[in-house]
Amino acid sequence: MLKVENLHASVGDKEILKGINLTVKAGEVHAIMGPNGSGKSTLASVLAGNEKFTVTAGSVEFEGEDLLQYNIEERSRKGLFLGFQYPVEIPGVTMANFMKIAVNEQRKARGLEPLTAAEYLRMMKEKSAIVELDSKLTSRAVNEGFSGGEKKKNEIFQMAMLDPKLAILDETDSGLDIDALRIVATGVTRLKREDNATVVITHYQRLLDYIVPDYVHVLYKGRIIYTGDKTLALKLEKEGYDWLINDYKEE
Amino acid sequence: MKERLNSTLQAQPLPASGRIGSGVWYVETLADRDITVDAGGDVRMLIVDGDAAAEINIDVESGAKLSILHVVNHKSAATVNIAIAEVSECRMTQVVCSSSDTRVVASLVGRDARFELGGVFVLTDDNQTSVTADVNHISPDCRSRIMVKGVASGKSHGRFSGLVYVAPDAQRTDSEQTNRNVTIGEGHIETLPQLEIYADDVKCSHGATVGQMDSEAILYMRQRGLSLADAKRLQIEGFVDDIVLHSAVEGVQDILTEMLAEKLSKL
Repeated sequence: MLKVENLHASVGDKEILKGINLTVKAGEVHAIMGPNGSGKSTLASVLAGNEKFTVTAGSVEFEGEDLLQYNIEERSRKGLFLGFQYPVEIPGVTMANFMKIAVNEQRKARGLEPLTAAEYLRMMKEKSAIVELDSKLTSRAVNEGFSGGEKKKNEIFQMAMLDPKLAILDETDSGLDIDALRIVATGVTRLKREDNATVVITHYQRLLDYIVPDYVHVLYKGRIIYTGDKTLALKLEKEGYDWLINDYKEE
Repeated sequence: MKERLNSTLQAQPLPASGRIGSGVWYVETLADRDITVDAGGDVRMLIVDGDAAAEINIDVESGAKLSILHVVNHKSAATVNIAIAEVSECRMTQVVCSSSDTRVVASLVGRDARFELGGVFVLTDDNQTSVTADVNHISPDCRSRIMVKGVASGKSHGRFSGLVYVAPDAQRTDSEQTNRNVTIGEGHIETLPQLEIYADDVKCSHGATVGQMDSEAILYMRQRGLSLADAKRLQIEGFVDDIVLHSAVEGVQDILTEMLAEKLSKL
C-alpha cells in the first residue's frame, strides 16, 4: 500500500528526514516511536503533503502511484488521512458543515454520488458513536472549545467518516487521560480492516496496549534505525532509547 | 434582492418624513428621510441602498425599540443618524458588499439608552469602500456595542473608522468597539478606531486587528479533502457568518447568507 524509499526532506535549509525506508501493507498496523526531535511528525506531515517541507530525494509510492506528485487534498482524496497532533480550531465553521463537504469530496473521488441530508445525518450518528463523541459537538465549530480528549476523539471520528485506506495518527495519544486513550484506541481498532492500514506515531508504549502493532519502528535523527515487533515497544518503555541509539552511534 | 427582502418581511414603504410606531418598513429609494419612532414603539426597518447619496435621520423616542437591517450592494453614500432617547434601544445590522461610503452616527441622548451595531463588509476586485460607525455617549448609564468585520481580496481597499465619544456628563458609560479584518492577496484594509472620553467613570474598550487567513486551518481542511478554494471560503464564511446569524431583523438570514455566499465566491 505504502512504499517509502530513501526519503529525504527539509524545512528551509535544515534536513530533517535523512533517508526513510518504510513499507506498509494492507491490513497492517505500524508504530513509529523515537525520542523528541527525531522527525516523527515531519514524516507524517511530508507523507500528508504539507508544503512547508521540501522533499529533496527519495520516493513514496501509495497504491502503486507516485504520491509526491499530488497536493495535500489530492492525497486525502486518494485515501490518506492524517490525525493531527494538535487539531486546529476553526471558529465559525461547524463540524457538520465541514465534514459534509469533506465526505462528499471523498465520495466524488471514488465515483459516488453525494450523500442526501438524511444519509449524512445517519452516518454522523453512527460514526460519532464509535468514539463516544457527544453528538452535540458536531453542531459546534470545529474543535473550538473542545477539551483535549474531545479534540482527539474528533480526529478519529473524522477518520471514521472519511474511511481512509491509510491513516497516519500523529501522537493521537498525547495529552489523553486513560479513559480517552482507551476510547480513541478502541475506535482505531474498530476501524481496522483487511484492506486498510494504520501508522501510529507515539511517544509512549501505553497506546500500544490497546492498538497492537505488527511492526514497531524507531526513528532517530531522520532515519529508521531499528524495526521490531510489538515486544520492542515494551523494551523501549523499560529501557529507554539509549541502548539503541548507542548501538546506532557505534555503527 | 430588495424585493425578496421586502416581500419576505412584508415591509411597507417608509414615508419621507413623519412618525411611525410599529411594523416593518423599508426605504423605497435611497433618499433623505426624517423619521420619528414613537415612544414605546417597536419598529423594524430595512434600508437597501440604491445608487444614490442620502441622509436618513431617525429619532427614537423614549422606551422604543428600533431594529435596522442595512444592506449595501450598490455604489451609494448613505448616512444614518440615529438619536436614541432614554430607555430605548436600537439594534442595527449592516452588510456591505460594494464600493460605497456608509456612515452610521448613533447618539445616546437619554439615560439607559442602548445601541448595538453588527456590521460586515466583504470586498473583492477593485472595490473601494468606507464604513464609519460613530457613537456619541451624551447621557449617563448608556451602553454601546460595535462589532464590524471586514474582508478584502483582489485589489480592493476597505476603511473602517469608528469614534466613541463620551461627553463629560456621560458617567457610567459602557462601550465596546471591535473591528476585525482579514485581507487576502492584495486586498487592503485600514482601520481607524478612536476614543474621545471626557467623563471619568466609564468602561470603554476598543480593539482592532488586521490579519491574514489562518494557514493552519486551511491546511487542516485540505487534509480532509477540501480544495484550497473551499477551505478559504469556509473560513471566511465562518468569520462573517455570526453577524448575519444575529441579524437585528430576523427572518431574512437565508437571503443575507446567500448574498454573502455569492460575494464570497468572488474572493
